[in-house]
Amino acid sequence: MSAVPLHNYLVVGAILFVLGVIGFLARRNMIVMFLSAEMMLQGVTINLVAFARYRGNLQGQSFTLFILTVAACEAAVALALFLMLYRSRKSLDVSVWQDLREAGQPATVDEETLPLPPVEEPLPTLTPAGLEPEHRGERTHV
Amino acid sequence: MISCSLLPMFAAAYPAKTMWAITVPVVLGGLAVFVLLPRPRRFPPLAGAACAGLALLFAGWLLVDTGTSGPETVLFYSFSGIAIVGGGLLVTQANPVKAALSFTLVVLSTCGLFLLLAAPFLMAATIIVYAGAIIVTFLFVIMLAQQSGLSDADQRSREPLLTTVGGFVLLGALLFILAVTYDSSGIERHVRRTEAVLERLSALPPDGDWRGPSSDVESTLKDFLEWQSQTVRSGTDASKRLEAALIDAASTGASPQATRTDVVQALNNVRDRATEVRWTMGFLRPGANARLSDASGPPPNLPPGELRRDAFGRPPLPAANTAYLGRSLFSDYLLAVELGGTLLLIATIGAIAITGRRTERPR
Repeated sequence: MSAVPLHNYLVVGAILFVLGVIGFLARRNMIVMFLSAEMMLQGVTINLVAFARYRGNLQGQSFTLFILTVAACEAAVALALFLMLYRSRKSLDVSVWQDLREAGQPATVDEETLPLPPVEEPLPTLTPAGLEPEHRGERTHV
Repeated sequence: MISCSLLPMFAAAYPAKTMWAITVPVVLGGLAVFVLLPRPRRFPPLAGAACAGLALLFAGWLLVDTGTSGPETVLFYSFSGIAIVGGGLLVTQANPVKAALSFTLVVLSTCGLFLLLAAPFLMAATIIVYAGAIIVTFLFVIMLAQQSGLSDADQRSREPLLTTVGGFVLLGALLFILAVTYDSSGIERHVRRTEAVLERLSALPPDGDWRGPSSDVESTLKDFLEWQSQTVRSGTDASKRLEAALIDAASTGASPQATRTDVVQALNNVRDRATEVRWTMGFLRPGANARLSDASGPPPNLPPGELRRDAFGRPPLPAANTAYLGRSLFSDYLLAVELGGTLLLIATIGAIAITGRRTERPR
């Protein structure tokens, strides 16, 4: 009988880190990009805490606390920036800011058109039938 | 050109199982992420979901095979499975609100892993800081900034093919390095086999014949020696000692006048050396003149053989996790703690300064 080996925790950390890298590079919404960066940090913290466990001292855990602090600072500043960027362009898409790119780089243009949203069937309407009754005695209201 | 010469070398140096255990889940996972990344499409990407499921299954079966089935293993599998599925959802989900919620899933299951790794204070702190504060702020920003459904950018990805290939090549390289440096399943298998042989030997009568197929001494030692010569890790001192012990035991087993006591002694030596190798696997010891305090556990430059260990071979951590963490923070890392506090203060002021509207009002 033995415990879960250190290698397994390191594998989980590596997978989370790489998923974060892919999300950061591929997604275009600024908030999702930032969440992916936070997920990379999660992968790294798993590594540090696992090493702390299997080496028998708390230094990895102390370092994780500092990562937590820096992540909180990062989140505060980044969210403030996102709000300002959104205010000036009314969009969270990073491609809106591509005029900041290096000189000589071609602009990225979305070529594929998005599929149109499915057309909803109109609700059935009933043709008016019968006569409208006379409203007697409702001419005056006191 | 380099890869052409390196690949056969790796293939020769590593058993085919390691190569397959890394290649199959990585390729399947890469395919799944590539298919699932948001882009204009007509049909729901069922093939991608199937690939993702297969990749998870293969990764659990080949990559992180613990060979045990205790409650810890079950918890490890469920927490890490939820974390990876949540991470995949965060990357492939078009809706940013759902992405934020799946990030919460990742954080919560990471906290489960922290609890398994004996870090209860970090678990609480991570839940409070991430799931409590950061996620709520994120949802708040999404609510402020995105009132009208999905935007155009959420349904597209930037360079999905290049990103996925690059990311999963990185993952393959990382997993390979981890398997070379930290994978202890091979040596565990051989240690267990040696222990079984020792048990069989001790069950025999003291003056009986210990040779023959029933005790299995020779083939065990032969397999162990073959495995040891295949690993690249043979440079460390512990590894050299293990090799010497193995050769010694093999010659003892082969000599005709060796008694059972000699063989048991040699095998015990092999087992002890192998345990030492397992403990020092991937161990980077700080230099002898490094000044390290022992406020957070035994000093890091203590030789690994002298460390106290529990029944599973893991060094025990103090039960009063928070107290020891605090002691370590305020003795070893006092300057860093002060700097962290200053950083938080500056970040708060910075966030206020960035968002504050400075509209000049005419008087």
